[in-house]
Amino acid sequence: MKSKKYLLALLPIFLFVLVLSGCGSATEKDSKNTLAINSGDVIATMDSSMNTDAIGAQHLTNTMEGLYRYDGKDLKPAIAKKVVKPTNGGKTYTFDLRHTQWSNGKPVTANDFVYAWRRTVDPKTASQYAYIYSGIKNADKINAGKKPVNTLGIKALGKYKLEVTLENAIPYFNTLMASSTFYPQYKPAVEKAGKQYGLSSTGMVFNGPFKLVNWNVSKNSWTEVKNNKYWNAKSVKLKTLKYYVVKDANTGLNLYDANRINRYEKLGGDTARQVSSYKTFSMDKQTANFYLELNQKKYKFFRNAKIRQAISMSINREQLTNNVLGKTGGIEHTIVPVGMSYNPTTKVDFTKEKMLQSSNQYTEYNPKEATKLWKEGIKETGQKNLSFTLLGDDTDNSKKQNEYLQGEMEKNLPGIKITLSNVPFKSRLDKSTSGNFDIVVTGWNADYPDPVTFLDIFTTGNVQNNGKYSNAQYDALINKSKTTDATNEEARWQDLLQATKILTDEQGAIPLYQSYQANLTRSNVKGYQITPNGSYNLVTAYKK
Amino acid sequence: MAKYILKRILYLFLTLFIIATITFFMMKMLPGTPFSNQNRMSAEQLKIVKAQYGLDQSVFVQYIRYIGGLLQGNLGTSFQFNNEPVTALIGQRLAPSMQIGAQAMVVGTIGGILLGALAAIRKNTWVDTLATFISILGLSIPSFVLAVLLQFYLAYKWKIYPVALWDNFQSSILPTLALSALPLGTVARFMRTEMVDVMSSDYIELAKSKGNSSWGVVAKHALRNSLIPVVTIIGPMAVSVMTGSMVVENIFSIPGIGEQFVKSITTNDYPTIMGLTIFYSFLLIIVYLIVDILYGLIDPRIRLGNGGKE
Repeated sequence: MKSKKYLLALLPIFLFVLVLSGCGSATEKDSKNTLAINSGDVIATMDSSMNTDAIGAQHLTNTMEGLYRYDGKDLKPAIAKKVVKPTNGGKTYTFDLRHTQWSNGKPVTANDFVYAWRRTVDPKTASQYAYIYSGIKNADKINAGKKPVNTLGIKALGKYKLEVTLENAIPYFNTLMASSTFYPQYKPAVEKAGKQYGLSSTGMVFNGPFKLVNWNVSKNSWTEVKNNKYWNAKSVKLKTLKYYVVKDANTGLNLYDANRINRYEKLGGDTARQVSSYKTFSMDKQTANFYLELNQKKYKFFRNAKIRQAISMSINREQLTNNVLGKTGGIEHTIVPVGMSYNPTTKVDFTKEKMLQSSNQYTEYNPKEATKLWKEGIKETGQKNLSFTLLGDDTDNSKKQNEYLQGEMEKNLPGIKITLSNVPFKSRLDKSTSGNFDIVVTGWNADYPDPVTFLDIFTTGNVQNNGKYSNAQYDALINKSKTTDATNEEARWQDLLQATKILTDEQGAIPLYQSYQANLTRSNVKGYQITPNGSYNLVTAYKK
Repeated sequence: MAKYILKRILYLFLTLFIIATITFFMMKMLPGTPFSNQNRMSAEQLKIVKAQYGLDQSVFVQYIRYIGGLLQGNLGTSFQFNNEPVTALIGQRLAPSMQIGAQAMVVGTIGGILLGALAAIRKNTWVDTLATFISILGLSIPSFVLAVLLQFYLAYKWKIYPVALWDNFQSSILPTLALSALPLGTVARFMRTEMVDVMSSDYIELAKSKGNSSWGVVAKHALRNSLIPVVTIIGPMAVSVMTGSMVVENIFSIPGIGEQFVKSITTNDYPTIMGLTIFYSFLLIIVYLIVDILYGLIDPRIRLGNGGKE
């Protein structure tokens, strides 16, 4: 009788043991042919007309091929036989295409480009990235439903000859041709899937280095295998890519330590700080940044350059990037990020050009000067009320950052009172576009690797110019770079430098930091290179 | 009984309709649009895209359209996943959450009943203390703390289970254990209280005095009578456990529905928000109905629909 009772007492333990049994070891062998990487989220779509995010762009870059492909920071011909020089005053591009194949063996032709591009600008497609086609002949009118899609400035001159016509010269047009929004599409696959195209790998065909297999938008892990029909397949060394969605930082670290993933990328600030001493820790500069915009429409006070300079100089960016952001950000002195664009002749980084160096003082921490300028600015404007709200995102990182900014400003700018308003992303967007803010922390991600993608924002009347900064000289320079100097690389470069100098000297927007991507990569992973458009080129990646 | 169930089903649809209406209008008060490139598009471009999705209409027109679609069983398509039907999205995402949830409920309920019963039978002994201690732990340790501990020791350090990811049955064990703590603790506490009550009632005394073995009495009379309150809480708890926990799903990288729900709200994915809310409500109402019917089966004194108690 007694023993029976004890048996019963042991039952839950038995149950536990039962669950435990039937489980073996969970480690996996590392293979030279397979690269396993984490992904911050699922792929929302593989339709190059519909995709808007970096994850989709990465997997389109892995599995598809456009006219060009970035190899490191160099633009290399891909389906196009060479990087084309425009004719007709920079308005016509004629591409000779390589004879390449889709993964089903069918040829990739000029018509596949025509089809894809028309589909993207077609208002029926409701692409959220159609605006990037702006400048290609009739793109805006077609997108607005005012012209038929077949009037788009793209024409197949032959099976392997493609002609693109622009409305005006676009100096950075070639860099756009490497981005996934301009990839070709295989018409029968798109039409068969209809509205569901790009939501599952079933029925999709690829023309890039890898093929997505067994995937749909709900998958938290997926595999890409080498595409033997890829025109440059002999350069592709990896046979399999495995991606796992990992959202928890600890889980990511555990998976990395167990070598279940060979690369753990896009670490958050806290994790990055924690592992920054690892030998395998690395950082990639991104073509994205964060900056402060002051509402110059609402406050005359903020139209005073001294006030803007004072605010900028009150912030210690070194502390901000190292301690607060945990190395997920780096210092930038201009609104144009480092490592994105290079002088057409000397190949010097845009931000490292001599002309801009004297402006760096406005983004250096200088509390004394800040206090001085601040007081002068107050005198000049006669501003009485110094209470402002700082609008920002409500993520952990930005909350910390905003508190830091608040502290720095209140410490160095006498009399200022900052109230924080940390709101969800969409809410922040709504408030900043409607001008319902005092000071806002804005983030921007390059659409294409050219300074103009950032500089355009601060021209008068631009929709993204939330602070309503306005400077006629600045506007004129940007305009000149797009018109009279559009086909003159050197003159255009000088225009952009001058414009940047004005913007930085006046602190029309106050640069905070450039986004850095912190990663852990196993030492046997080689050639895993970020490209200027933010995606990695996995053609070159291999394992030793 | 049949009439009662029919009435309840009618209420079910009415409740769903009210929930759908309230959710719809509240959801439309969220700032922003469902478009991920909202900050990059000009006002005209935004207008074009909005028109394509019928978002340029007044909220009331949108509501009528939505309810119209709903009556035909159409939950619409997701915005985050361009044009993916919401039903497909829920279907694919629900399975892992349901599996883990169901496993956790089984482990938790059985464990909890045993634990509670043991504590009650061995009232005021060390067994009782231990059982109570375990159940309080289960109640008070948040599932994500437990998840992290389980992951660190059982997977990372001792390598018994996979750290995370959703591959096979083994992958489901740690999340199951993490999620089962709450039902285990809750059920054990209810069970103990009820069973202590039952054990001291006259009919148990009578049964014992008739010479039945004490284990027989427990199994035949006490256990069954103590189950009623447990059944009451199991239903709603099962719904909450099975509809997914965002935190546990994130820790173990499980493609579940819990996270999807949160994400659909932060991205203004209207059709997904609506679809999931309606689905969750439906599940909860159905479970309450089942619980009410089960009462009658467990305790014949409770019979529904005869002007009796509900």
